[in-house]
Amino acid sequence: MEKNPDKGYIALLGWSLGAVEAAAAFDRRYVVVAPEWAEEYCLQHEIPYLPWNFERLNDRSMEIAETLRDMGVDAAVPLFEETVEWAGAINSVLMQNPRLHGQAVLFRDKALMKRRAQLGGIRVGIFEEAHEKSDVVRFFKRVNQTLLKLDGDPDDPIHLKAFDKAGCLGHRVIRTYEEIDAIPESEYPLLMESHLDGWEFAVEAWVWDGKIQFLNISEYVTLGYSVFVPATPELEQYREQITRQIELLIKTFDIQFGQIHPEYFVTSDGTMYFGEVAYRPPGFKAFELIERAYGFNAYQASMLVFDPKATADEVAAFFPEPVKDAKGHAGCFGVYPRRRVVSRLEIPEETEQHPYFDYHELSAPLEATVTKRTAFGTHWGLMFFFGDDPHTLRDLLKHQESLDFYV
Amino acid sequence: MSSDNELPVSEQRLGALLQQLEVALAALESAPSFSRPGRAGRVFDLARRILLEPGGCAALEQRAQAIEQAGTFADSDWAEPQRLQPALTPASLGSPQAETVVIEALSELRLLAVARGDYVHPLLSAEQAHNHLTQVLALNLSRIFAFSGEAERETQGRLAEVPRALLRYLAERIGYEFIVDTMIDEIWRLLGQRPLMVAPVRRMIDQMALCQANPEIDLGTSGQGAARLVSSLYGPTQGSREDPGIEAYAGRLAGMDTAALQQEATGMARAMHDTGLVSPYHPVLLRYLLDHGDHLLSEALGLSTTGRDCLLCYHQLIRALIDAVAHPATAQGLYGLALLLERGILYQPPLAPALWRQLGLLLSESSRQRLRLAYGDAATPEARLLEGVLCMLGLPLGVGQGNNPTCQSARALSMWAYNDPDYLLQMVTWAARDDEIVMHFEGQPISSNASGVGLSHGMALDLDPVSLLVVPHLDRIYAEMGRLCIGREGDPHRWVNPEFHGWWAGRGFHICVDIATGGIEDPETFYRHFYAAYHPLYNGNQPLVHPQPAGIAVTDSAARFIGWHAITILRAAIGPDEGMRVYFFNPNNDSGQDWGDGVQVSTDGNGERFGEASLPFAQFASRLYIFHLDPQEEGAPAHVSADELGEVMGYLRRSWGADRLAPA
Repeated sequence: MEKNPDKGYIALLGWSLGAVEAAAAFDRRYVVVAPEWAEEYCLQHEIPYLPWNFERLNDRSMEIAETLRDMGVDAAVPLFEETVEWAGAINSVLMQNPRLHGQAVLFRDKALMKRRAQLGGIRVGIFEEAHEKSDVVRFFKRVNQTLLKLDGDPDDPIHLKAFDKAGCLGHRVIRTYEEIDAIPESEYPLLMESHLDGWEFAVEAWVWDGKIQFLNISEYVTLGYSVFVPATPELEQYREQITRQIELLIKTFDIQFGQIHPEYFVTSDGTMYFGEVAYRPPGFKAFELIERAYGFNAYQASMLVFDPKATADEVAAFFPEPVKDAKGHAGCFGVYPRRRVVSRLEIPEETEQHPYFDYHELSAPLEATVTKRTAFGTHWGLMFFFGDDPHTLRDLLKHQESLDFYV
Repeated sequence: MSSDNELPVSEQRLGALLQQLEVALAALESAPSFSRPGRAGRVFDLARRILLEPGGCAALEQRAQAIEQAGTFADSDWAEPQRLQPALTPASLGSPQAETVVIEALSELRLLAVARGDYVHPLLSAEQAHNHLTQVLALNLSRIFAFSGEAERETQGRLAEVPRALLRYLAERIGYEFIVDTMIDEIWRLLGQRPLMVAPVRRMIDQMALCQANPEIDLGTSGQGAARLVSSLYGPTQGSREDPGIEAYAGRLAGMDTAALQQEATGMARAMHDTGLVSPYHPVLLRYLLDHGDHLLSEALGLSTTGRDCLLCYHQLIRALIDAVAHPATAQGLYGLALLLERGILYQPPLAPALWRQLGLLLSESSRQRLRLAYGDAATPEARLLEGVLCMLGLPLGVGQGNNPTCQSARALSMWAYNDPDYLLQMVTWAARDDEIVMHFEGQPISSNASGVGLSHGMALDLDPVSLLVVPHLDRIYAEMGRLCIGREGDPHRWVNPEFHGWWAGRGFHICVDIATGGIEDPETFYRHFYAAYHPLYNGNQPLVHPQPAGIAVTDSAARFIGWHAITILRAAIGPDEGMRVYFFNPNNDSGQDWGDGVQVSTDGNGERFGEASLPFAQFASRLYIFHLDPQEEGAPAHVSADELGEVMGYLRRSWGADRLAPA
């Protein structure tokens, strides 16, 4: 696409093919900042590229910000959890606003994040940091005592999360004391949270000029398995309350621009509990779902709201009206093999022939033996669905859990 | 949705999928290079689902051109359909990888559209497409008729429905009867060239035998000619008529008297010389006859007086060879042996000792591994190589290059087997025993181990046993000789060909192409020299003494240039139609090709010997761009008539010369 030199010049931090495709088809100049393994590919396909190793933090770290500034780059957009802090640091140089780095650190450390939320008057569950096994044992015991459990009653689970990893990575659910023994030393320190019995959902919101420009609610069917957008009317009925919550979040974290991805629980009485917030695209291809449902490219949306040269008119024209402008409901299902030994990929006939089935990104198995899942693990690929009725879609996604895709 | 309600569910589904395909193709066509793999994946997955729907194949055939033009085949092996090998389709259609199956299916449907004339393809003619499809169907008959094995289900699951639906559709569009009859014609045409690699032909015959034996398959009146092929392999004689099995046949032989054995021997020999294929029963008979005197051996090999003399003269060696090669898995070696005897080459003094060396040859571990990898464990690597040696010596013009860019090496092997057989045996020994061949280029030794990469990358396994072991060495040496010529003015073949092939390749050299520009330079003078050196009416009626390497510009059936190719000129002689013809060897696996503008390479019916190809002299000359000659035997170029030259120039102008000749 023809690039407009009057508009911002965007650096994408991290390698994401979907983001590069979106940038190539957008009217802004861009450069991909990624590790050296991406170099050959970028050269081969003429993708603007700057090598950078995000794992190495040292006294040369200022160099990348200065290089980008000298190139005339206006903003850095983080694509992964690991690049959020980098983006904050780089943008604080590019935009001459040192507070942006401090803000990014809040997004990276889950314990700091929860404290800041609590200070802002946002309701969160019980949480604590654990540095060793005995901390977990104590927390688990105390949570269940609070819940007035008697001996022999099944204990309420607690959740353990790494401080600085995205989504389900490093997420464990602890239901028994034996499970605490199974946590490897290397996972400490970590964050412990009480379990909230509620309806969990996620939000993707694009913020510009300190205001929400577009707010999507993603409905989880089963956490770690399936999600769809827009949500059912049952969840969308909370849109007003959710919007208030997001505005509170924006104020508390002092967010002027960018794209945020918070997670909440809504309990049966309508109370919202804040889970966590990320300053980057969500996992599970929610960006693809939004594009399928609404027709706008979510990566381009992020590039737009990060761009200091974007105008109010341009931003207003870019985003559709939530729910009403959706062409249908788009959902995806993460496939985990259910058998211990598999030989090939075979999509169930009923799934493949369902009118809602859109496409899949599953690949043939590389190994016959399926490793046992630890924590939440990673799925083997996604199935995408699209249709008119959110309830049909939800039930269809749920039903996939009982089917074998690898046999 | 309401208007769709009258349609059956499957048609609704197909319609929706085709719409999605249209979107996916448009997305692929407009994709930047880095997004192509993902978007092509979407096209393949949709195509797979469409293939599973009733009417899906037809819908994809109609869209074949759009599918190709969107870039579906780009950067894959299917991008150049003129190079596709039908023999590879059983593997790709049987792959557990959905994408492989689907891209092959889409490619075949594309060829169908080309064959039907609905899609005019820039790289491939309708006849080529049609031939290709017939062979594909022949090689995959079992899938069409659905006597699929458990194995297929196990590896492919529901994916197995895709190739089945595809092949049935192809067969319906082309016609079942037509397939079987065309297949039989095709088999005879291929056998007429007596290739060393008969495994693909044997597989096609096996498929026909299976169809004939299956009561559920109605072939109608077609396939009458199949019986002769099937019986030549599985029941060539009275004693083996109903394919009794090796054990039972051996038992029957023990109970036969001399007259019955004589009948068996004649029957076996007749079937073998008729088809060039050797029945697995044949080695059983020969082994049994080792104890019954030379007369029956000679009968069973179908020898003429020349061959019989050779057999009697060297009977100890021949018995040792039969003992080493007469196994059902290496039966083909017997045909090679029979023809070797007929050629009388055993009377060349080095040959018998060289064959004794071959019999006792210890193969290197890597040679054994290579032979095992290519041919499995049904025979020992030693027996396999001996089979290959006998076949190559018996059928020097049966050498083929397989699907590899090694025409020079294949040509060299063929030339040595034809002209210098003990040198060939020396090469085989060095390669098989020492894993190294040393040749000399202008006095400088070149080791195949010290040389860099050759033209062929990776390990080719679609070769006869001798080529399998020797070609990798030759290929590297040939490439190294080419590198040593870098910096010399002109075409390196001038120096490489005589050094590589043998002293008899003439040091005089003519080329009509300017290497730098690709343009054709002074073709008339080039043709004058060629006629004066090779045409018996201009060279003093001197038959060609030694086979000569030559280079041709291969054209397709539309007379468009395809590439440069190495061949051997064997002889020029008057054909049955009284016209002068050039007889030549083409290391390509199938010489019968249509080079366009009426230039149809003949392999049979114009005086060709087994494995020879031929063309009228002028037509051949028009595709020639390099030839060698002895500088002392230039003939009289000035005598060549303007009419003759004009005819050649006409063929040149209407084909690859069209855009290479300087404007007149």
